[in-house]
Amino acid sequence: MDGKIQDYITFFLTGRLDGGSLMPMDPVYRPAAFGPYSDLTSLRYDFPLVLNRADAGRALQSLSHLVDDAVADLADDPERDRIARHGYAIEMDLRRELDVSGSGDFHELWHAASDRLSKEREDAIKDSADLLWNLFNTEGIILDAERSVPFRAVRHLWSAVQADKAKDFRRKTERLLLKLRGILNAEVANSATGRAPEALRAGVGAGFTNAFDFTGMSKILMDSKPISALSDGRRQRIRDLIEVLEGQKFFSLGNEEAATYEFAFECSSEALKAYKERHAEAVSLTRALKMAELEAAGEYRERMHDRIFEGFGERGLGFEDLAELPDYLVCAEADELDAQESSGIVEMLSAGIPVKIIVRTDDALQPSPVAEGHANLGGRSKSLVDLAIGLADVFVLQAGASQLFKERDGLVRGLSYTGPSLFSVYSGSGKESKGIPAYLASAAATESRVFPSLTYDPSAGHDWSSRMSVGNNPSPEDDWPDHRLRCQNSSLQAETVSAPFTPADLMATDARYFNRFAIVPDGADDEGLVPLNDLKDFELEGLPEEVPYIMLVGEDNRLRKAVVDLRTLTEVRRCLAMWHSLQELGGIHNSHAERLLAKERSERALDVTVSEAPLTVAVTVGETATAEPEEVEDAIAEPVGDDPFIETARCTSCDECIQINGKMFAYDENKQAYIADPDAGTFRQLVEAAEGCQVSIIHTGKPRNPNEPGIEDLIKRAEDFQ
Amino acid sequence: MMDSGHSISPSECLLRMYEEHHEIEDYQKGVPRWCTGCGDNAILAAIQRLCRDEGLLPEKTVFVSGIGCSSRLPHYMNTYGFHGIHGRALPVAEGVKLARPELSVFVNTGDGDCCSIGAAHWIHAVRYNMNMTMMLHDNQIYGLTKMQASPTSPIGLKSNTTPRGSYLEALNPLTVTLGISNVSFVAQVVDWIPEVLYQVISAAYHHKGFSFVRIIQRCPEWLPKLMEPWLHDPQRVLMLHHEDGVEISPAVAKVYTRMEEHDPSDMNRAREIASSIDPIPTGILYRNEEVPCYEDVRLDGRLRTASLVKQGLEAEFDKFTVWPDASGQA
Repeated sequence: MDGKIQDYITFFLTGRLDGGSLMPMDPVYRPAAFGPYSDLTSLRYDFPLVLNRADAGRALQSLSHLVDDAVADLADDPERDRIARHGYAIEMDLRRELDVSGSGDFHELWHAASDRLSKEREDAIKDSADLLWNLFNTEGIILDAERSVPFRAVRHLWSAVQADKAKDFRRKTERLLLKLRGILNAEVANSATGRAPEALRAGVGAGFTNAFDFTGMSKILMDSKPISALSDGRRQRIRDLIEVLEGQKFFSLGNEEAATYEFAFECSSEALKAYKERHAEAVSLTRALKMAELEAAGEYRERMHDRIFEGFGERGLGFEDLAELPDYLVCAEADELDAQESSGIVEMLSAGIPVKIIVRTDDALQPSPVAEGHANLGGRSKSLVDLAIGLADVFVLQAGASQLFKERDGLVRGLSYTGPSLFSVYSGSGKESKGIPAYLASAAATESRVFPSLTYDPSAGHDWSSRMSVGNNPSPEDDWPDHRLRCQNSSLQAETVSAPFTPADLMATDARYFNRFAIVPDGADDEGLVPLNDLKDFELEGLPEEVPYIMLVGEDNRLRKAVVDLRTLTEVRRCLAMWHSLQELGGIHNSHAERLLAKERSERALDVTVSEAPLTVAVTVGETATAEPEEVEDAIAEPVGDDPFIETARCTSCDECIQINGKMFAYDENKQAYIADPDAGTFRQLVEAAEGCQVSIIHTGKPRNPNEPGIEDLIKRAEDFQ
Repeated sequence: MMDSGHSISPSECLLRMYEEHHEIEDYQKGVPRWCTGCGDNAILAAIQRLCRDEGLLPEKTVFVSGIGCSSRLPHYMNTYGFHGIHGRALPVAEGVKLARPELSVFVNTGDGDCCSIGAAHWIHAVRYNMNMTMMLHDNQIYGLTKMQASPTSPIGLKSNTTPRGSYLEALNPLTVTLGISNVSFVAQVVDWIPEVLYQVISAAYHHKGFSFVRIIQRCPEWLPKLMEPWLHDPQRVLMLHHEDGVEISPAVAKVYTRMEEHDPSDMNRAREIASSIDPIPTGILYRNEEVPCYEDVRLDGRLRTASLVKQGLEAEFDKFTVWPDASGQA
C-alpha cells in the first residue's frame, strides 16, 4: 500500500498525524460552503430583524422584506428606481452599522444611515428615506443576529400576543362592568331613593332647579314605580363580581396606578411559584367572568348555576378556562440547564400550566460531559424537545436563529396555542465558533441537520401528518442541502464542485474538533480519498481502501480537502439517522407509507393480470348489476281502511275543526291538527269539519255509529272527503 | 385539549347542560281573536314552532307590529312585543335592534299597514338591511276595519271603499322590494302550505340581514272566495326549490308538482318570477349574504360608557358655546 494512503488510513482510524502526508487543521480553513459568505454585510438576507410594535401578525419584520414591500408599493411612482436604489443603499449601510452595534432604535438608525449617505452622495437620499419610512409603517427595535436574538424575538412576539389578549380581556371586562353597574344603577333609579325629589333635582342640573316641581314629579314617579327589585342575594352577587373584576391583577384595565402581575421569568421554579400563588385568584377571576356573563345577559338562574359555581375550579382549571388569562413565559439557557431546572421545565409542560418556554442553545456542538471528546450534536435542548413532543399536547418549535423570520407564523401560533409550548432556538453565538457570524453559524447548524427546524402543533389535528412539519428546513427531502460551488481548477478551467453541508463541515468550524480533521496538501491526487457524502453507509468491516474527506476553503480562497476521522464519521452517521427519523415523522420518505405503497402496487399489478383472464367473472358481475331494483317503498304512507284521518302536515292551524269538537280534533306538537279520538264526537261533526276545512285535508272515513240520525244524508255529503 | 381551537372547558359544558329549553306552549299566550279559518293562525303556528326549534329565549325575542288583523300577533306570543301605530312597525323594530342588537326581532305587518301608510318605512327598512325578519301578512283587504280595498287588492275588487270595483292594478310587494337598493332576502309563501311556510320563515330568520317574507293569506270573512282557485288547484302554485333555497319534501312534492329550480342568488330571474301572479311562486326568490347590516355599519363597537356619552354631549355643547376671546373677555 502506498505510504500516503497508509497515513490517510492511520489518521482516519486513530486521529494521529503520522507520516507526513497530511497537515494539521488550521483555523484559517472554513467549510467550502462558507466561501461565498465571507462578508455578510454585503448580502441581502432576513437579518437584521425589526421588532415592530404592532399586533402579533406584524410584530416580527425583516429589514430586507420591508424595503422590498415598500418598493413594490411604489410600482406606479416614476421615481421608483431612484428610491429603490437609495433604499438598498441605506439598508446596506444599516446592516454594516448593526454588524458593529448589534441593535438600536429602527427609526433613529434608519435616518442616521440616510444622513450619512446623503453627506457622501446626494441630498435626495433623505427624501427617499422619508418616503420609504412612511411606507414601512413600523416602529420599534432593529437588531442583527446576536446571542440575545432568540429571547428578544420570542419575548417580543409573546408580548404582542399578550397585548392582543389584554385588549380582548379589557373589552370584555369593561362591557361586563358596565352591564353589572347598570343593573345596580337601574335598581337605584327605580327605588324610592332614586325617585325622591332631591334625586330628581340633582338629575336635571343647576340651571333648572326652579323650573320644575320636583315634589310633584316625585309623587307621580313614585306612583308608577316598578314593584320588582333585586333580591338581596343577586345584589350581593353582582357587587362581589364587580369587586373581583375591578380588583384583578392579571391585566391592566387602563388604570396605570393599579399594579399588575409579571408573567415573564428566567427560570421555571420562579414561574411555577408565581403560578401557584396566583391560582386561587385565577380561579376566582375565571369564575367571575363566567358568572358576570350570565348576569349581564339576565340568564343567571340561582337554582341551577349556584351549584355549578360553588365548586368551580376545585379540581384545577383547564387550558380552555385559563385561555383568557396571560400565559407564563420562561426564558432558559440550554447550556446552563441543570437536572433540577430541566425537570422543572418538564413538570410545567406536563402539569397543565399555560406556560411558554423558550430554551436558547448557544453551543450546538457541546462535547459530551460523559464520554471524553464525544460530540453531543444538537445540544442539551434536543432531549427536552423529544420529551416535550412525547407529551403529545405540547406545542414544540425548534429552529436556528437564522430561521426566526421564516418561522414567525409558527412562533405566533405556538404563543397563541391554548396549552403549553416549547421553543428551542439556537443562537449561533457559542464561544467556540468565534469569528463566524451568529447568523452563519445558526444557518449552518440548520443545514447540517445538527439543529433542524421542526414544528409539532397539537392543535393542527390528531395524527403525525397534521401535527409534525419539517418542511421549513433547506432541501427537506435530501440528506443534506447540496451547495454547488463554481470554481477554477488547476488548469484554470471553470468547474462546479458539489459540497453538501454535513455535520462534519459544521464541526470543522469549531476549534474543539480541529483534531478530527487533517488537511491534504496541495498537489496530492484523489487516490484513497472519497467525499464523506459517499460513505453514508460505511461500516468498518476490514482495512478501508478509501477515507472520507470534506472540502474546506482557506483565506486565499483555494479549495482544500480535509480527511475526516472515523469518530466524526460515526457521529455524522448518527446525526443523519436522527434526521431520517425526523423526516419520517414529518411525512418525508416515511418507511411505513413506502412499504404500504409498494405492497399496494404489487397487489394492483396482480389484479390487472387476473382481470385479463376469466371472462366468466365479468359476466357474473354484470348479471348482478342489471338485477331489477327493488321497488322503492312509498315514503308518504296514508292510513287505509274506514277510520277518519287528517293530512296533518298540510294543516294550517286555522282552528276550524277544533272549534267544532276540541276532543275529537287536537293539535300536535307543531300545532297541526290530527284526529285525537274518532269516538269523541259524531259523524256529523266529522263531516262538518271536513266541509269547513279550507285546505280539505280532513277525511271522514265510514260512520262508526250506523244509527246516527240523518246518517244517509251524511254519508252522501262525506263522499267528497274519503 | 387535542383540538384546542374547538374544545370547550368542562365548566362551559356544564353550563350548556343547564340551558333552558321551551316547548311550543311556552310561546303561546291567550286565545287568538282571529276568525276561524284565518291564515294568521297558520303564520302564528309556524312562528311558535320556529321559536321552539331555534330555542329562542322568550325574554330575548321581540315581535313588533303596526295596526291590522296581522298586527295582533304580538299579543299571542309569550315574548316581548310592541303593538305599534299604523304603518310604523318598522321604525320601532329598527330602534329595538339598534339599542339591543342581541335580541331576535320579528315584524308582523299587513298589506294595508306596510304597503299603504307604512310604505316609506318599508322601502328604507329594506335599504337599511338590519338583521330582522319581516312578515307581510297579505290578505289583500283591510279586514280589521271591515273590508276596504288595500294596495294589493286585485283590480275590480268591490269593497266598502270601492263599491264599483277598484280602479288600480294591485301593487306587487315582491317586485317593489326587489327593486330597492341593499335588498338581501325576498321570499314568498302561501299560508295553506304549512311546511313550506315554516321552511321559508326559518330561512328568513337565519339570514343575516333584513328578510322580507310576503305571505299570501286567506281572509275567510271578507274575501272567502278570492284564493279558492289557488287553494284547490295545486298546479297554480309554483314551488321554487334549490339547494341554497328551500328543499321540497316528498309529501309536499306529491301534491304540488309544479316546480322550478331557482338559484336565490340570481336577481334577474328572481325579478321575472316575482312578477308572476298566476301561478303563485312560493319559496326564496332572492338572497344575498354580502349586503352589510346597518347596525354593523353604524355601531363602532365602542362601549356606551358614561364618560363616552358625556364626551359626545360636551362636543355637541361646545358647538354652541361662546368662547372668551384672546383677551379673556367674552
